Amino acid sequence: MEPMNMNTKQLWKNCLAEIETSISRANFSTWFKNTSIIREDTGIIYIGVPNEFVRDWLINKYHKLITKTIADAYENMRAVEYTITKTEVVKEELAPVVENESSVNSVNKELPLRDLYISPEDNLNPRYHFNSFIVGSFNELAYAAAQAIIKSPGTLYNPFFIYGSTGLGKTHLIQGVGNMIKEKYPEKKVHYITLEKFATDLVNSFQNNKANSFKEKYRKYDLLIIDDIQFIGKMETTQEQLFHTFNTYYESNKQIIFSSDKHPNYIPELADRLKSRFAAGMIVDISAPEYESRLAILKVKLRELNIDLDQEILEYIASSVDGNIRELEGSLNLIVVQYRLKNRSLTLAEVKNLLKNNMKPKKNMAIKDVVKIVSEYYKLEEDSVYEKTRKKEIVKARQIVMYLLREDFNVSFPLIGQKLGGKDHTTVIHSCLKIKNDLKNDPQLLQELEQLRIMFK
Amino acid sequence: MKLECKIEEIKNKISQVERITGKNLTLPILNSILLIASGKYLKLRSTNLSLGIEVEIPAKIEKEGLVAVSGSILQGIFSNVFQNENVFLESIDGNLSIRTKKSKIKLKGQTHEDFPTIPRVVGTSFEIESKKLIDGIKSVYYSSSVSDVKPEISSVFIHTNEDNLVFVSTDSFRLAEKKIKVKGLPEIGGILIPYKNISEILRVFGESNSLIKVCFNKNQISFSSDDVYLTSRVIDGVFPDYRQIIPKSSTTNAVVLKQDLLNALKISNIFSDKFNQVNLKISPEEKIFELSSANNDIGENKTYLDAAITGENIELGFNYKYFLDCFQSITTDSASIKFSGASSPLVVSPVSDSSFLYLIMPMNR
Repeated sequence: MEPMNMNTKQLWKNCLAEIETSISRANFSTWFKNTSIIREDTGIIYIGVPNEFVRDWLINKYHKLITKTIADAYENMRAVEYTITKTEVVKEELAPVVENESSVNSVNKELPLRDLYISPEDNLNPRYHFNSFIVGSFNELAYAAAQAIIKSPGTLYNPFFIYGSTGLGKTHLIQGVGNMIKEKYPEKKVHYITLEKFATDLVNSFQNNKANSFKEKYRKYDLLIIDDIQFIGKMETTQEQLFHTFNTYYESNKQIIFSSDKHPNYIPELADRLKSRFAAGMIVDISAPEYESRLAILKVKLRELNIDLDQEILEYIASSVDGNIRELEGSLNLIVVQYRLKNRSLTLAEVKNLLKNNMKPKKNMAIKDVVKIVSEYYKLEEDSVYEKTRKKEIVKARQIVMYLLREDFNVSFPLIGQKLGGKDHTTVIHSCLKIKNDLKNDPQLLQELEQLRIMFK
Repeated sequence: MKLECKIEEIKNKISQVERITGKNLTLPILNSILLIASGKYLKLRSTNLSLGIEVEIPAKIEKEGLVAVSGSILQGIFSNVFQNENVFLESIDGNLSIRTKKSKIKLKGQTHEDFPTIPRVVGTSFEIESKKLIDGIKSVYYSSSVSDVKPEISSVFIHTNEDNLVFVSTDSFRLAEKKIKVKGLPEIGGILIPYKNISEILRVFGESNSLIKVCFNKNQISFSSDDVYLTSRVIDGVFPDYRQIIPKSSTTNAVVLKQDLLNALKISNIFSDKFNQVNLKISPEEKIFELSSANNDIGENKTYLDAAITGENIELGFNYKYFLDCFQSITTDSASIKFSGASSPLVVSPVSDSSFLYLIMPMNR
């Protein structure tokens, strides 16, 4: 059966490509999305469709086109039939679990389930270990500093302050230090906490008149790790408490580690005394991983999951998702789920298709192309967009161009202004704001933008 | 197309049909309503590819034909412009001209060839009075899950039990079941109608007084009355076997006045915490039925209710919202609450009416 399966799949793919050219894009994506050839039986082709609305319309409107297209590609075809299939295979897989899980069990679901991984004493997640930590030029300094701290905690770099934008592995690094120290010095008490939790604890302790127990609680550890410290800006009391806690640690040579998404100098409203104390130790940043590191990260993740993917596919993922490791993981997970469902390796084309929605539009599109697509969409002369005119329809198109360039392609305001007929950057800012506001109460505009974005892909 | 009909008629129907137009879909034609003039009727059709509707309006047809125009605009026109008189509709070059004594409107049409058909459901069918259908759905639909994660419970489940049509919905924290006697039912293993479509069904047939023919197969269900045909996709899935979780016996029983309990719950609400938790304590010996809640920021409260209680002492917590919800379906003055231990669901039902049943999972933190 296997070869036949491949054949029908290929056959339908070819037919879809053919059909796509003969009908409008909107029609194609509405009616032919999620269709497939389920099987072929003595010349009868069974096409799977997601619901009865689609089946009805395919029969009424596109039957001739479909029959003809298939007949051209597959000469043994005698007839075409349509059947309704479930589109979301994932849900099918889950169904039996749901059945067994009667509502009685759901009592537990209401309770916040404690994550089994995380030990309640130190809050550390054992998943964050240096075994799975990739070192590249983007984070080697931070890594080296972390290793030095593990060797002699509390003496060398105290405090250790690490910053970098979201999803680059800050939490992994600092929890890794915690885990290593726990392993190496079992007698030391380690504690990991997010600033938010720290602040809530503080507020609660004041409410219940237990300020002292709070102090005791946070001063008894040998290593304190505080994550996401950037939110401390507005919390004055928390800053004060953190300051005292910090002093206790510092004076008794106990290690303290912070992470933030900004350099301490740029954390708004951070008290000077804290700033200078953060600077006393070691401040390092983690930047975005470069291509090779991204590839290495993917490989390590796959090894954890025990899955093999083609080098080609890995390279594609690494090159198409840039910057954020979390997004990289997300994309990989998406592919892994499909891999497990289909129980076979995916082709590059399938991967591309899967990742299509995950990715931001390509940033290297020329400004001219954007103008061209938008002006074509609104049936305007391309040149008119650049001209100094205040005709309503042209102004609208121009504003949309500006908005798209800014939002989707990250072009700077002055550059947009310059390219679109020498406008001031404030004009551009105004246009972007206007479209943004209009979008809130104009579904028509929203739809137009959606369609435009499809055309950019 | 050329015809004349009553504004009042067309106005109501347009607002019904407009709700079901496809919003935010890639295919713009789905925003529109298709007007079909044929025989003695003007038909209005719309669909969002999950629901489809077609309604008939009696009209004087001079020329048959069809035209598709934007639903929201048509709705806008008819909800504002006209008084009670007759309206003339005519399609001219694919556009729609709307004429009354005092106004003339030309509305841009869309290519009606692209407007999809609506599936005619072939399958098992039965008839039910619209009041009963609406009562059944209304009694339970608020309990469905609103999330899309498990489509089988974000829906209303309809099946038969002897000569009852049974409506059930649950979000796995509470469950509502309503039985309605209907004559001449075929056996129905189970139909799952998506929650999102349920509210439209309620709106379309909520005011109706006619007999509704229901027809279904494993993919689709339709409801048709004299002048409305509504069809919805059904969810292909298995509803959890809920009967096994309905407690067979109880250890504590209480009967309270519905209004007393409602008032008490509303006060408890003020003091409930962010989990909406309200605690219930029942002690038959001391004749205590106590509702309490506490919140660090606000304070705490206790309310004692007059109740007829039998059985064992019990103490448990629950989400008051779930409790409040079920009173819209309890029409009697007093409600019976049955408990079977602090960790099994409590069962609420109207006194001396076995057609409605409501289960709430306790919340013991």
